[in-house]
Amino acid sequence: MTLASFVVKNALRNRRRALLTVVSVAISCGLLVTLLTLQRELTIPPESEAASLRIIARNKVSLAQPLPAKQLSIIEKIPGVVAASPFTYYGGLFREETFTSFAQFAVDPPRFRNLIVEGRVSEGSYDDFINDRTSCFVGADTMKRYGLKIGDRMRFTGTFYPVDLDLKIVAVYQGTVDDRGVFFHHKLLDELMGNPGTVGTWYLRVASAQASNEVIARVNDAFANTSAEVRAETERAFQMGFISMLGNVKLLIGSVSTVVVFTLMLVTVSTMSMAVRERFRELAVLKALGFRRRELFSFILAESFGLALVGGALGIFGAWALWTGIDLQKLTSGFLLYFEVTPRIMATGGVVAVFLGIFSSISPSIAVARLSVVQGLKTLD
Amino acid sequence: MAAEPIVVIRELTKSYLQGDLNVIALNGVSLDIQSGEFVVLMGPSGSGKSTLLHIIAGIDRPTSGSAMIQGINIANLNESQLADWRNQNVGFVFQSFNLIPVLTAAENVELPLLLTDLSAAERRKQVATALELVGLADRGHHRPDQLSGGQQQRAAIARALVTDPALIVADEPTGNLDAKSAGDVLAILQSLSRDAGKTVIMVTHDPKSAAYGSRSLHLEKGEITA
Ligand SMILES: Nc1ncnc2c1ncn2[C@@H]1O[C@H](COP(=O)(O)OP(=O)(O)OP(=O)(O)O)[C@@H](O)[C@H]1O
Ligand SMILES: [Mg+2]
Repeated sequence: MTLASFVVKNALRNRRRALLTVVSVAISCGLLVTLLTLQRELTIPPESEAASLRIIARNKVSLAQPLPAKQLSIIEKIPGVVAASPFTYYGGLFREETFTSFAQFAVDPPRFRNLIVEGRVSEGSYDDFINDRTSCFVGADTMKRYGLKIGDRMRFTGTFYPVDLDLKIVAVYQGTVDDRGVFFHHKLLDELMGNPGTVGTWYLRVASAQASNEVIARVNDAFANTSAEVRAETERAFQMGFISMLGNVKLLIGSVSTVVVFTLMLVTVSTMSMAVRERFRELAVLKALGFRRRELFSFILAESFGLALVGGALGIFGAWALWTGIDLQKLTSGFLLYFEVTPRIMATGGVVAVFLGIFSSISPSIAVARLSVVQGLKTLD
Repeated sequence: MAAEPIVVIRELTKSYLQGDLNVIALNGVSLDIQSGEFVVLMGPSGSGKSTLLHIIAGIDRPTSGSAMIQGINIANLNESQLADWRNQNVGFVFQSFNLIPVLTAAENVELPLLLTDLSAAERRKQVATALELVGLADRGHHRPDQLSGGQQQRAAIARALVTDPALIVADEPTGNLDAKSAGDVLAILQSLSRDAGKTVIMVTHDPKSAAYGSRSLHLEKGEITA
């Protein structure tokens, strides 16, 4: 036997408690890593992905307010804008469905073509889409879900707009972050609505992600002090806008993380206190046999460290494996793009585990330092 | 011609302040113990037997007076010096055995040796010798809960003598044992003093146990009466 194997035997003496401690530390550390990853995801600078190359410009007043169609000519002249198309959310009900389960947008097909950065036309032809005013361009997931094929018709009942659509499928796309949407001619919507001369939003593409902030500013400036001021933002920021509306997400996640760490601390501290308290008598015996305080300290520290580190490692690498293993981009329809558990986040989790190990051994160590052999021997088992 | 006594105690007092009350556990005890003696401490409950034993063994400190063991005034040692001193010079046997439940008998016996410079092989050899001496050579791999009370106490004695200390202290070592096991334990303690030249100090309530000793001391209200 060595001092190390003695420590291990002590740590595992109450297997159930050791297991519960390890599991609770693992779950909490995994949760912490997940929260930190989510926080990073939601506040990540939108760089280098297609979504950050695209900008959505909407009415500054609210998303529901339309924008004048004549803004297009101004937008197309703004330096840095590579392509632009009207982009109007139709939001109709497909067939007999009672809720909108995939989005439909009215676009200008020739212009919209230049906005598609990722993805490809997998069936039919985009030219057919351009040439047929009543055709539509459908995502492969929707095709598959409803068992549709080229030439089939899709009928929608308007909810937001008081007009119904009857569209013919002529082309299918695949390989975007969300292969569900249906696109159709803005001209068709205009005609059905009696040519109101408005669009829902503008969809733009910029040459580079670096340029996007500048272009956003220019678009906003171009319509400042007009009757229809716009608010432009990257597609990603636009999507995030929905969560940000719930409040300061970063603060929220930060507070939840703090609570997690705090709870974790309570768990490990009470576990270690219990583990040491029920061993007071043994620790007193060890003292009598000649073990010094610093040896007893190192036993306690090694034990709480061991449990915290094993739990921490399981939780951190478990979270890493989970979030790396599943395709969140697909699961969340592109809302969560990377959800990358970075080494930095894992290191943060590790630091928390180490800190827990140290912190939870403080009070037991003090108790052991104070423990007199005679008092300890009097404690009952 | 008697050699220098191994234990020299002079005017030893120990008192506890309990609220306003000053409880006197030891009241001016003076005592010499020769090397190789088997001293039995007797007396009524609360008379200060354990307190005296604890001070001699270096796990408690006197309020006043001196306790010289092998010429060292242990009251002058600091905590960690005292710990080392105990490891090298004192073996403990307790009433309730106090073996570590997660360790085997052999590992329990090995425990005090982990603080020494001995190699694993040397430690194993000393553990085997100690277990042999208490008649547990074949029980080394058993955990305490797999041993009878008498066997546990013999393992505890093996743990007490494995470092080859000059002094062995035992506080009611037979208090939790049946007569047969008690006899075994007492015989071992007796032979440690007689054959191995250890100084053994034992507290007991039982006059029959006291008969194994070479000298009996009576404590009454913190004073030695006989
Ligand atoms: N920590 C303490 N605080 C206050 N009083 C104490 C303390 N420890 C011991 N005493 C008192 O000191 C006296 C001697 O106690 P000690 O344990 O030495 O008695 P004892 O002779 O061993 O008794 P027993 O045979 O019951 O074990 C008792 O009156 C006891 O109440
Ligand atoms: Mg006593």
